[in-house]
Amino acid sequence: MSGCKRASKPLASLWRQGAKGSCPNSTLGVSFRSFTAGPARFDEANVQSSKADNSAFPDPATAVTPSEEEKLIKAGILPVGSRRRRLALQTTANIPFEQLPYQCFQEARKVLQADREEKLKQIESERARIAKLQSQDPAVSGGEVEKARRLRSMQNYLEKLKILADINDPLIKKRFEDGQGDMNRPIYRYLADKKWREYQRPLIVQRITQMNVVPDILPHLDPVADVRLAFRRHNIQPGQFVDSRVSESPARLKVQVFDKGERFVTVAVVDPDVPNLEKDSFDYRCHFLAANIPISPTSTSIPLSRLSQDSTILPWLPPFAQKGSPYHRLSVFVLEQPNGQKIETAQKAVERDGFNLRSFADKNSLKPIGAHLFRTQWDEGTAAVMARAGLEGADIELRRKRVEPLPYKKKDGARYR
Amino acid sequence: MNVLSSFRSLFRPSPSITSSSSSSTIFSSLWKPSSPSSSILTRHAAAPFSSTPRAMARDKGRPRTDKRITLIRYHLMHPMTPRPLRFSRLRSLRHWTIHRAWLLYRRQQLQAKERSLERQYNSMRDACEELRAHSGPEGARLFRASQSKKGIWQGVPVEYARLQTDGPPRDGFNEGWTR
Repeated sequence: MSGCKRASKPLASLWRQGAKGSCPNSTLGVSFRSFTAGPARFDEANVQSSKADNSAFPDPATAVTPSEEEKLIKAGILPVGSRRRRLALQTTANIPFEQLPYQCFQEARKVLQADREEKLKQIESERARIAKLQSQDPAVSGGEVEKARRLRSMQNYLEKLKILADINDPLIKKRFEDGQGDMNRPIYRYLADKKWREYQRPLIVQRITQMNVVPDILPHLDPVADVRLAFRRHNIQPGQFVDSRVSESPARLKVQVFDKGERFVTVAVVDPDVPNLEKDSFDYRCHFLAANIPISPTSTSIPLSRLSQDSTILPWLPPFAQKGSPYHRLSVFVLEQPNGQKIETAQKAVERDGFNLRSFADKNSLKPIGAHLFRTQWDEGTAAVMARAGLEGADIELRRKRVEPLPYKKKDGARYR
Repeated sequence: MNVLSSFRSLFRPSPSITSSSSSSTIFSSLWKPSSPSSSILTRHAAAPFSSTPRAMARDKGRPRTDKRITLIRYHLMHPMTPRPLRFSRLRSLRHWTIHRAWLLYRRQQLQAKERSLERQYNSMRDACEELRAHSGPEGARLFRASQSKKGIWQGVPVEYARLQTDGPPRDGFNEGWTR
């Protein structure tokens, strides 16, 4: 042991004891280290403490003495990381993330904090300006239309500022990545929206346009809400073939909206591929229809089986495809009701067969905000599902009409030589 | 710093090695008697029935890798390519924090610079306006002198009076523009 080390040993042990005795949860950005840069040598205090809890099994994250390591290795567990790291973890376990003693990190946090303070001041002043404009006479601010336009743009700027104030916070990023974000706060809604628009939204847009759901059932759809679909424990990807026994029970929807406030939505499940033999074409059929379902950024789950009696217009009819018919696209639409109004659910006019979602949405001025899609086809469970639902037609097999070839005169064989 | 200095040898080939190797090749080409006939003989000995390279005789149907993929892989696997950043969760969060702070700092600097330029431009414009309108005949003379563009592109091509672009603007030149 060099002289320097020997000199510093009692000092280091004093520090360590002081840290353990007086403030065990000290959050100061000071890590207690002896002056050595080599692998950890132990002072008496540490050795004693490790001897005291020798009876307990050592923790692989903080085991540092050779005997503890040996014990762990004998038990078949390798100690985590280097010995130096484990020692550092022993002495500096309870430092919160934002107080970690890294100089560059702390300087960066100072810059970000200053920016956040400035943004908060801007938010305050923008709020004051909005309040001032609201109380202003419209004749002064250039007419009702101009005043409304200015108010709208100021509101947008305020929302942008709210997001900018929080976008650089590492803890907010961490909490969002862990799925613990509070959807009442605009920053988490913004991050969730951004993440949804990365992959899930292009996916559902691709599926509904590839399978022609959008011009077939509704003329246009610009999804702004994330819609997930599940049957019991089966999460369904957009456009997936679902076994008829799985889809016999009502689905569970998860509708995530990214703008604040509660609203009422209508959910419709429509099958546009019902074969119509008389017309030699296809018809619509509504498998489920419910209205006045309240959703908000925090209440997202819509279990179709457990909706209240007065909001359900048409209860769940299990999707089925008759034998020989091409696959059926079962499309789930979530439509927003205007201005939080409720629509009349005791409508006699709503029929399952020939249900037209376009006219229904037009009549009630509904605006589609999200969609999902799955497919069904004849499988071994369909007959039983149809029998349980009291549906007829399971014993019929549809066949394509044979197209008679046009009269064709065989040319002389010389051409084919 | 230590990491950077360890990379330096990779990016800059050491002069001693290059000079020695180049001199040796020069010397060999100068002083050794070249013997093309002997090299042909040895190649024929390796492949006695054909003079085409062996690579061309390999099976034609084997799956060919895209050349771009080969190039990408070459550069990614090259020892001079620095290794990718692999950080733990908290370390990467710290890295992200520092990165965001750096971007913010750069943006603040840029904005401050633009604001100061704009201030300077505005005050010069105001001074010229003051000279033109409210300073009598002497001021008007000074204004005319300040607006004179004579000789300011002396020695520099006049094309540099405007920011150079690849093509003409989409909406042409706005003849009716006024302040």
